[in-house]
Amino acid sequence: MGRRLDQPSRMGSRRFFLRGLVQLPLPLLAAGAAGCRSVQFARLMTPGEEGMIGSHQAGQETFTPLVNEAVAKLLARHAESAVQQVSVVDGAEPMPPPMRRVCFVGVENKSAEEIGDFKEQIYQAIDARILESQVFQSVNRRFVDAGLRDTRLRPDQLLVPQQMRTFADHMEQQGQPIDYLLYATITSGTTQQNRDYQRDYLLTLELVEVGTGNYDKQSAELSKGYHHSRLGRWRAAHSHSP
Amino acid sequence: MTGQPARLWGGLFAAALVLTGCATHMVRLQPVRTAFQLGDLAEAERLIVAEAESGPEDDLLLLDRAMVALAAGRPADSERMLRQARDGLDRVEEESQLEMAWSMLGDDQSRTYAGEDYERVLLRAMLAVSNLVQDGDDAEAYSLQVIDKQRSIVAAAAEPDGSNPKAAYQQVALAPYLRGILREETHRDYDDAARNFQLVTAWQPDFRQGPFHLARASGGTHSRPGHGVVHVFALVGQGPFKAEAEEQPTSRSLLIADRILSVQMQSSLPPTVAPIRVPRIVAAPGIAGTVRVGLGDWSAGQTETITSVSQMALRQQEALLPYQLARAVVRRAVKKGTIHGLKQGLGMRGGLHSAAIDLAGVAWEASEAADTRCWSLLPDRIQVLRLELPVGTHTLTLTVLDHGGRPLGDPVPQDVAVSDGRNTYLLVRASDAGFVGSPLTSGPAATGQKTIPTSR
Repeated sequence: MGRRLDQPSRMGSRRFFLRGLVQLPLPLLAAGAAGCRSVQFARLMTPGEEGMIGSHQAGQETFTPLVNEAVAKLLARHAESAVQQVSVVDGAEPMPPPMRRVCFVGVENKSAEEIGDFKEQIYQAIDARILESQVFQSVNRRFVDAGLRDTRLRPDQLLVPQQMRTFADHMEQQGQPIDYLLYATITSGTTQQNRDYQRDYLLTLELVEVGTGNYDKQSAELSKGYHHSRLGRWRAAHSHSP
Repeated sequence: MTGQPARLWGGLFAAALVLTGCATHMVRLQPVRTAFQLGDLAEAERLIVAEAESGPEDDLLLLDRAMVALAAGRPADSERMLRQARDGLDRVEEESQLEMAWSMLGDDQSRTYAGEDYERVLLRAMLAVSNLVQDGDDAEAYSLQVIDKQRSIVAAAAEPDGSNPKAAYQQVALAPYLRGILREETHRDYDDAARNFQLVTAWQPDFRQGPFHLARASGGTHSRPGHGVVHVFALVGQGPFKAEAEEQPTSRSLLIADRILSVQMQSSLPPTVAPIRVPRIVAAPGIAGTVRVGLGDWSAGQTETITSVSQMALRQQEALLPYQLARAVVRRAVKKGTIHGLKQGLGMRGGLHSAAIDLAGVAWEASEAADTRCWSLLPDRIQVLRLELPVGTHTLTLTVLDHGGRPLGDPVPQDVAVSDGRNTYLLVRASDAGFVGSPLTSGPAATGQKTIPTSR
């Protein structure tokens, strides 16, 4: 049977058919092929490797140096006084004074950000460094928690002299006498510049002597810029370079 | 008719059937909902298992199965299933462009279900609640996950022009509430508790207990000496479900659809678009209103809504409907374009074959069904009540009340052990027929526990 010239051949019609069938969906499928669902991976970071930097709020890049600096300052000051206070008994070797016992009450977040699981991390980091320092002996946290629960005192109430004594007496009854209360407080200040902003983080450690109420205070500060674009970050990083 | 076009449109019919589901998810799951609300947990579980054996929606069915396990007094099983479902949904959370493109030939049911945003948040909240009525070891982590998830869902939807369709979402106040009560129990992190209760009052202003929680966390203590706290969680009513509805595309959805077509296909939208099928959230909460908690002759209080699941789902639908419509419009355009291209390719300009292909095209479009997949056994509302009670074991009397305060079903007695300065958790599921399953409670037996005297 003859075939009109304007009719596509069987082979040709298949080609046209295929072309027609894919004419619209294929670009979509092709576009889609480039964007398959990704899979999450993880890796162990090597010691000393630069950690990630929180793009929207403070993370380890902020808290680790703050804790290091503030604790080092506090311990340095008290290490000196510990060396100077040496007990001398007639005819005997000079004795180092007993280590003073610190009750680390907690970390208070007064910054503009929710610090989530970092709060426990900061507590443990400070507590561990104090313990390692051999300048102070820190009271185990479980005793501190039990003391607060038993006395129903809030951490901020412990600075009222009578309540401080109540708490200290209770801890002593539990076999955990304390010489100092230690508070850590995180605060922040924000400076806005159009859509970018700078946030200054301050970690303050306050050491309060239970007997006298005298206190010492050491702080560490760190500023962080949050930028809306890479260009903004680049501009900020290079605006002060010579 | 020659063999080729006959095979052709026969193939199109077959493709239409393959690419679209036969019955919608909610139609198949309706008996499960009914059995569950009537308290027939064994039947609900049997139906879910039967459904799981016949279909691929494992994670979604796992969520429903977890709710049955929780109501049946198996919180450990429930937590395990919820965790498994969470991980499964997380794996498919990021939209696959390939899958999206493939769905253009069928309907949204051919996309892997990653859960609605409200479901992904509530999943973590349910994990926290399931854990609290066991040892509570992971409840803190789960409560953080709820808040993080909520935040990340909204943050990820930010458009380059600064707009964010998900900014209008109703936030789940249960998340900061859980975190608040957990931090308060430390007797140390009252600042965290106050911060979280502040969020509760901001996100759920009509939650009357909110300001009291905030005031206590800001200046008070967890409980009086010799007392502990019982937190009652009530999952009340039937949660929302999805039904198929016909919608006329709005100008906003047409704009979005045109943008998608322009970017992906360098093509513009055909001028006429007939009504399209989309899933619509249906709130059918039932008549259960609240749970009254009594202690002896004393009515200790009634649970109060902290999160309305149905309202959340409706608000979310409102925010995302233009995008759903746009996807359906694009799909319609792709199908029309394919038929048009096919006819051009075959050189058809009218005649029987052309009409047959048009008919196949109509059948292809008509075979689309709305994606009604959803977590079908969620409650309508999550309600809470806080009771400060002396140390020891107490028998609470629990009664489901309707919206008018009339009892539904018989009161149920439940023992709770209260420890000094500690939280105890009680979880109930309330429906129109009374309680579904048995109440669940946490905490060690407090009987004979020594009350620690205070030195204050």
